[in-house]
Amino acid sequence: MARPGLATRLYQGEANINIVGRRKTWFLVAALLVVFSIGTIAIRGFHLGIEFSGGTSFTLPAAAAGKTLTQDDAEDVVTRAIHAVQPDATVLAAQQIGTGDSSSFTVRASALSAPEVEKAKTAIVGELGLTADQVSDNQVSSAWGGAVTEKAILGLVIFLILVVAYLIVRFEWRMAVGALASLLLDLTLTAGIYSAVGFEVTPSTVIGFLTILGYALYDVVVVFDKVQENTRGITAGSGRTYAEATNLAVNQTLMRSLNTGLVALLPVGGLLFIGAGLLGAGTLKDLGLVLFVGMGLGVISSIVFAAPVLSALKDQEPKIKAHNARVLAKRASRSDDVAPRAERTRSADATDSDEPAFVGGTTPRPGARPAVKRNTTNRGGGAGNRPSGGGKRR
Amino acid sequence: MHPGRQLAVLGLVFVVLYLAVFFAGGASGSFTDRLKPKLGLDLVGGTQATYIASQAGAPPTQEAMKTAQEIIESRVNALGVSEAEVVIQGNNTIVVSLAGEAEDQLKDLSQAANMRFRLLTGVTGDVSASALNPASPTPSASASGSAAPSAEPSAAASGAAPEVGASPSTGGQGGGAPAPSGSPSPAPSTSASAPAAAPAPQTGDMAANLAAAKEKVGAETWALAEKLSAPVDLSTDPEAGLPFKAFSTLSGPEVAALSPQMQFNVPTISCAQLNARPNGSIDDISSEVVACYQGAAKVTLDKAEVIGDDIKEASPQLDTTQNQWVVSLDFKSEGQTKWAELTRKAFNATTTDACYTAVTSLYGTAEHCAVAVVLDKEILSAPQIQGVLTGSSQITGDFNAVSAKKLADQLNFGAIPVNFEAGPAQTVSATLGYEQLEAGLLAAAIGLGLVAVYAFFYYRLLGSVIFLSLGLSALLTFGALVFLGRTMGFTVTLAGIAGFIVSLGVAADSFVIYFERLKDEIHEGRSPRSAVPRAWNRARRTIISANTITILCAAVLYIVSIGAVQGFAFAMGLSVVLDLLVVFLFRHPIMTMFANTKAFMSPRVSGLGRVLRTAQTEETPSSRVKEA
Repeated sequence: MARPGLATRLYQGEANINIVGRRKTWFLVAALLVVFSIGTIAIRGFHLGIEFSGGTSFTLPAAAAGKTLTQDDAEDVVTRAIHAVQPDATVLAAQQIGTGDSSSFTVRASALSAPEVEKAKTAIVGELGLTADQVSDNQVSSAWGGAVTEKAILGLVIFLILVVAYLIVRFEWRMAVGALASLLLDLTLTAGIYSAVGFEVTPSTVIGFLTILGYALYDVVVVFDKVQENTRGITAGSGRTYAEATNLAVNQTLMRSLNTGLVALLPVGGLLFIGAGLLGAGTLKDLGLVLFVGMGLGVISSIVFAAPVLSALKDQEPKIKAHNARVLAKRASRSDDVAPRAERTRSADATDSDEPAFVGGTTPRPGARPAVKRNTTNRGGGAGNRPSGGGKRR
Repeated sequence: MHPGRQLAVLGLVFVVLYLAVFFAGGASGSFTDRLKPKLGLDLVGGTQATYIASQAGAPPTQEAMKTAQEIIESRVNALGVSEAEVVIQGNNTIVVSLAGEAEDQLKDLSQAANMRFRLLTGVTGDVSASALNPASPTPSASASGSAAPSAEPSAAASGAAPEVGASPSTGGQGGGAPAPSGSPSPAPSTSASAPAAAPAPQTGDMAANLAAAKEKVGAETWALAEKLSAPVDLSTDPEAGLPFKAFSTLSGPEVAALSPQMQFNVPTISCAQLNARPNGSIDDISSEVVACYQGAAKVTLDKAEVIGDDIKEASPQLDTTQNQWVVSLDFKSEGQTKWAELTRKAFNATTTDACYTAVTSLYGTAEHCAVAVVLDKEILSAPQIQGVLTGSSQITGDFNAVSAKKLADQLNFGAIPVNFEAGPAQTVSATLGYEQLEAGLLAAAIGLGLVAVYAFFYYRLLGSVIFLSLGLSALLTFGALVFLGRTMGFTVTLAGIAGFIVSLGVAADSFVIYFERLKDEIHEGRSPRSAVPRAWNRARRTIISANTITILCAAVLYIVSIGAVQGFAFAMGLSVVLDLLVVFLFRHPIMTMFANTKAFMSPRVSGLGRVLRTAQTEETPSSRVKEA
């Protein structure tokens, strides 16, 4: 076992992937994606469902011209008639209103122009052998009132303010900024994907979108919690720069992030599979889709965006700046030394310091440390072998 | 706390919840019926009502319809956390669909809810019956009783000068002094007494109705009625009502077209006719109106000094001293000024004021004038004002918890600018139907299955803890849904089901946090017995922080937003709270107990095996360091 596979290292929280160190790359990628998202939203807008944009409804009697229609019949006939004049139109399922012979069916479709409505109506009348006055059409407003959106946005803003306040109290303002930035990135990208691909936006989509909100923050909080733990009193030692400590925390929670991401995405995947695969369209697909996209992005951005933003902000803090400089200076002065030796010494020394200066982050080379440890069978420095949170104890 | 005790608490929660599901909150029917959550419009269909704008002339503006749609939507949502659908159809129709059988709830939704506070200025009995049938001049004590004194206040109400009207009734007790409070209100009302002045805003067919009324009544009777300056006093002449017989045949809209004076003075116009006037007939703020008080007396009301728009917030409250429900009002600042002014006028009124004599005849005795609280066509109450009210005030009336909340909601949401006629309520079939419900449940099963497989694969036996807790969460959630569906009208839509499926994953997430922590601790070389509480302490902090945010999100959205978003927020809050419950009362104690067993240490059994192995081999030389 010269070097455990990536899976094992992930499992033990030792993947040691340099994430925070490449923050410039992530920021660039994020910036490009944001520009793309905003661009596509500005140019293409969203494909709004009938619930938002309103539409046209057709009402036809259930029993007429000597026969009784079923709900499916009515839906089929109207759908065919509408698609004949406007192939892109969305047609919702038929609804039966009332019971018995006097009942009628209403089918709602996306907005049609007056001539289109006439044509569709003629087709329906012709196919069912009805008279023209038995089929009525109406413009239908959006079911999702403008007030609902307004209030939801108001709620969103209040929530964001409160959550920032909470994060400032619970963590610090830089973490609040990092969490917020990551959240906004998620939401922008999800919206961007929706706009770019042209997925239909329905109330279910909006609900799903709001779900992402809580979930994305949840992820970030878990990562930041670890960062805070790892960097408590970091300036007292000189083992790691802040960015490295953050990177370590990210690595230590990487397994958790992937795990929870996977665990949360599994049911959503089930939704999407059933919704899109078996039913073709509708609430399940809408929800599954937005959640899949948003939660997936949430997991990724909590790892590669939130933490880098945090470390970038932290590096501006004078105290941390000085600390980083000291660490780097120390490291430079030791660079003649054989690296593993240095590490080992420090590990052994560090038993009582707040941050046992194991190795994880000091060498940006990913994966270097565990390999070294194991190969040298340097059990004395065992502390180094359990970077996963084990490091700091108190 | 001892693990056993926590489990006992959980057991208690479970038992209480399911007892509630089976026996509380109006549970009825067979056991399976009691286990049915309230399903949404999209899954099982519901009831649909159509409201058509009854405004004459041009259809209402789009703006007005939009406002109406929003207000109706707010009202529907205030009925419970259900996802109703409110759409505008065509240019004058609003269609409301609600899940389940909801005819009762749909009944008053389109009510305009124009709130008016008017000084009560005159009273006469609802004497149409006795006027039409004078053979028994004193048919009932109440009718004639109220009719008798009615002559006095009416003089004040309809007379041009209150002092003149009031003095004969009170024996000339000095007319000039009380003028400041008495005169300002009746004085302007005289200007509105021109017979043709239309009190309602819809002037369109008002004239037509007036003409129809004139024709029905006949010119002679009409002239007679126009000459009346006070309600006909049947106590002196039981037959005095007979000449006006034709008025009893007028329809509601025709009555509405008459001048307020005529509506009040003509004894043959009954309360039933007044109540049949179209909606919005007495909404006009700047005119005097006639209404019925508790179906027994016709009253004239001064122009509205304070209206619903002046109210900042209304809330239902239980008045514990009286043990009755009231609606508490907070006024906007200028509304407060107007309200103080109105109550001052009523409070300071003296026996010479018209309003004072009106109160006397209505209640038998009077200390102060009364302000009628009028909602649309109905007088909710007409309390005597016991002081100048400068703070929040209460509306009393015949309220119960439901009607008090309804009125408060209506006041808070504002009045609908359009008057609607409600069409019949009809059943409406599901938009999605059982096929989609089944698919949703299938998706839930698949999701749960996948999570379980993953948990067992990754955490081995610990996976069973995850699985059990998820099962427990699901049972608690289901119980809560059934119970809340019955008590709060919480409906489960397909989106809701999807939301709960997602929450399964999120619930599993808090387990992962805990187990990863546990792994860290064991990796560090701790024995499971000491690792469990340590991991728990640390994970708890993380879990609480993260869940706080979700709860915050749910709470803010629930309070601020409306409609589907509110329903969603409720579901999210519910699932997080239940998740926390399971985490604290089930998983932690179970893990504590588990840690004491030998099996826990076995790599085959617990998913911590590999970590344990590594930790053990490494531990020997370095345990000193780790435990330091």
